[in-house]
Amino acid sequence: MSGFASRHPAWTLVLVVLCAVLLWMIFAVWPPELEQAIGRKRVFLSALLNGITLGSLYFLVASGFTLIFGLMRNVNLAHGSLYLLGGYVGYGFASLSGYWFLGVLAAFVIVALLGIVLQVVVFRWMEGQELRQTLVTIGISIVLADLMLWAFGGDFYQIETPSWLAGPVQLPFVLAMRSNGEAVMLQYPLVRLGIFVAAVVIGVLMWLALNKTRLGMQIRAGVDDRDMLSATGVRVQTVFVAVFAFGAGLAGLAGVVGGTFQSLQPGEDIKILLASLVVVIVGGMGSIPGAAIGALIVGLAEQFGSVYMPTYAVVLTFVIMVAVLAIRPQGLARGR
Amino acid sequence: MIPVSAGLKTTGNANALELRGVSRMFGALAALSDITLSVRPGERRGVLGSNGAGKTTLFNCITGDFPPSGGIIRFFGEDVTNFQPHERIRRGLRRTYQISALFAGLTVLDNVYLACRGVSRNRYSLLRPGRNDALFAAAEGLIDAVHLTDVRDRLVGELAYGQQRQLEIALALSGAPRFVLFDEPAAGLSPTERADLVTILTSLPAHIGFIIIEHDMDVALRVVESVTMMHNGRIFKEGRPDEIESDPEVQELYLGGGHAHH
Amino acid sequence: MAVVESNSAATSAFPRDGNGFGWLQAIHPAGWALIVFLLFLPAFGSNFVLVQIFGWSFILGMIALSLMFLAGYGGMVSLVQMTVAGCAGYMVAILGDSAITQISLKWPWWAAVPIAVLIATIFGTVSGALSVRTEGIYTIMITLAIASAFYYFTLQNYTIFNGFSGFNGISPPHFLGVDWRDPTAFYYLSLFSAALSFVVVLYVSRSPFGLALQGTRDNARRMAALGFNVTAHRIAAYCFASVIAAFAGVLLVWYQGQISPGTAGVGPVVDILVIAVVGGLSRPIGPFVGALVYVLLRTFSIDALQAVGLDGKRFQLVIGLGFLIVLLFSPDGLIGIWQRIRPRLLGPRNAEGGTP
Repeated sequence: MSGFASRHPAWTLVLVVLCAVLLWMIFAVWPPELEQAIGRKRVFLSALLNGITLGSLYFLVASGFTLIFGLMRNVNLAHGSLYLLGGYVGYGFASLSGYWFLGVLAAFVIVALLGIVLQVVVFRWMEGQELRQTLVTIGISIVLADLMLWAFGGDFYQIETPSWLAGPVQLPFVLAMRSNGEAVMLQYPLVRLGIFVAAVVIGVLMWLALNKTRLGMQIRAGVDDRDMLSATGVRVQTVFVAVFAFGAGLAGLAGVVGGTFQSLQPGEDIKILLASLVVVIVGGMGSIPGAAIGALIVGLAEQFGSVYMPTYAVVLTFVIMVAVLAIRPQGLARGR
Repeated sequence: MIPVSAGLKTTGNANALELRGVSRMFGALAALSDITLSVRPGERRGVLGSNGAGKTTLFNCITGDFPPSGGIIRFFGEDVTNFQPHERIRRGLRRTYQISALFAGLTVLDNVYLACRGVSRNRYSLLRPGRNDALFAAAEGLIDAVHLTDVRDRLVGELAYGQQRQLEIALALSGAPRFVLFDEPAAGLSPTERADLVTILTSLPAHIGFIIIEHDMDVALRVVESVTMMHNGRIFKEGRPDEIESDPEVQELYLGGGHAHH
Repeated sequence: MAVVESNSAATSAFPRDGNGFGWLQAIHPAGWALIVFLLFLPAFGSNFVLVQIFGWSFILGMIALSLMFLAGYGGMVSLVQMTVAGCAGYMVAILGDSAITQISLKWPWWAAVPIAVLIATIFGTVSGALSVRTEGIYTIMITLAIASAFYYFTLQNYTIFNGFSGFNGISPPHFLGVDWRDPTAFYYLSLFSAALSFVVVLYVSRSPFGLALQGTRDNARRMAALGFNVTAHRIAAYCFASVIAAFAGVLLVWYQGQISPGTAGVGPVVDILVIAVVGGLSRPIGPFVGALVYVLLRTFSIDALQAVGLDGKRFQLVIGLGFLIVLLFSPDGLIGIWQRIRPRLLGPRNAEGGTP
């Protein structure tokens, strides 16, 4: 970060100013002129927080996607289908047992198992044939999507929020001052905050695992240089299976999360895949911090776009993607 | 059969290739540090050094695969430091690769034809060439020069290793080269093939200068008139082949007290 | 890449000996039979077969050909070709005549079509420019993202693209004294377009442009070291491919009579990829073979599936499984299978020679 600041002093200044403005907008009471100009503060704060939580969901999905690519050079376009499958599986387990958390667990485990099967039975024999692998993932996603359509139909499902996550919570952001001097604070759904916390926790755990464990260091070495990985004597295939299983399981888990505060229906797999694509294009392929940055940007862009520019929300996300591709094709988080 | 360059720019009595203070960092690793060397037009230079000395990185910098982290590169007097690879090639620079970089899905003739086409006008022509196309004649001439005439219509993927290395040389001699970089051309060749290579290199027209990276001292010292030794990304010594061969420091560090044969 | 191979007879730029009509002699007897069959089909084929089977196959084949050109010769798997076709179709609807009178400009066809093709080609070229500067494997991702952005934009924009409903009431024009809505006329129009694009791709593949493109596929770094501006060349290849896809898009909107966001949605975009890969990415006839198989499956799958006791709606499952089977066992698609069994069917003598 200090390196960035020293190399791009102008940009750093711009970012600092923007952060200051943002912090003021979040914590201060808005004068009436501001509210007249751009709408109520609650709308702004909701968009901001919804963007962060949506970004959290995107991070959960995109981080698995980018990890699988980073290590195995496999652009897994079936990732969206794994997400949706996890959602349906989680719905089944949660509604049958009454425990939301069981749904989460089941989704992770079952989709991770599917991931193991895919890696061992299919992808292992296509080492080095990146294009062929990617096309196979497309085929798998077509098959999975149709099987799920067959099994669950076209209805949309929503997973019930567990009671311990339900309800609104008061946040320390002032919306307005009442005439008697009392402050009106923002109320926000707890479940969305939970998603944000979960994403942060998982992100931190992933960072710790990648940087502090031996397996993690092997994975990072493999991302940088695959030949070196096998030269260190590690059983490369085992690492690949572990990573694919984890990435897939994470997508499945994200499916349950998404199914809780959004919904599950045919087409969600494509939507989440496309969001992941934009996230990793913006953040940089193979980079977990890049996935975090990209997810935050995309989530915020989508929410702010849908609130303030509803007819052109899609354009905003697209413009960001195009801008990154034009100016810095390797993504924001990666070096040249 | 190797065309003489026409109309390519030269500024004054410039050196063919000039590097001043060139360095290249990969993260914290200094692959090249403060490289300063000059090669005259038509001069035959050898760049020697152990693995990891930075020789291939030097070539990559000269051809423009990546810009140097610092320093200036001049080609026939023109500052090419920030030029794209194809811009340098169009000015008469050529290169061979240590691992043959050929078009496996095309025939030998197509490979050489592309090389001739790359430095000519109309390189992207949508019209198919007629039977009397001058570049085809040039391509066939080059193929004869490297003794690959009988495999002219074979897919490159089907050639033997030694034949691929010969094709690699043909690609570098296409068009009107003024200066060539040969990256370990003798790697993996049999003794007969090595002798063949030495013949090709020594019989190049006098106006074409080259730098050769080579581990095989026999080949290298027979085709060059001057040597630059590199070590750890720096230039360690320069001189004539016989001087270098008998230098005690060089022998200690690199030759291990005698010639290294592969 | 195992998915993309090449063949020296098909790709060599070296002109054949003999007079200028040597290429006629190179057409395999089976090729002649096909040409005769296609030319005389209207004499015995029903309107349904002419338009809904062959016409549609020619159109999809052209779009898949545009993908094959980029992927097979250039090593760039672009998923934006169907979107380019959709863009051209939309432009025809917007600039020309349709039932959505508050948007359509009612230009005559000879103004609307060229401008539509131009706009769509620019769109395809810019998309290409965005994706060529990254490593090849990202091309699929980036073009898929662009294609989906187009889909969502047409879905949500009502002022130009009329959103969810799109445009209907579009029909081929009346010119040269022929009503091109007539099934036989439309059949010949699409046959001619497909044949022309096929011949052009075949010709260009052996020109310096096409040869150099194959060079960048095999070794881009080497091409740069031979003096080629690889980036500019690739963008030019996208431009060329987009022209073909754009014309196919014009035919498509005339064929369907309507266009909506779903025409270029993710489903159809991936279907074109499936068609091109299953048909075979190494020869220009592959996309048309793949398109015909796809159209036949699409038309008859309901009956076929029910015959084996499955729900008629499981068409996508069949497509997906077929795609996977081809990828796993015959990466060069149906053309690859044909090339392998041809020596056995026709005898070794007849296995040589280049049938495009």
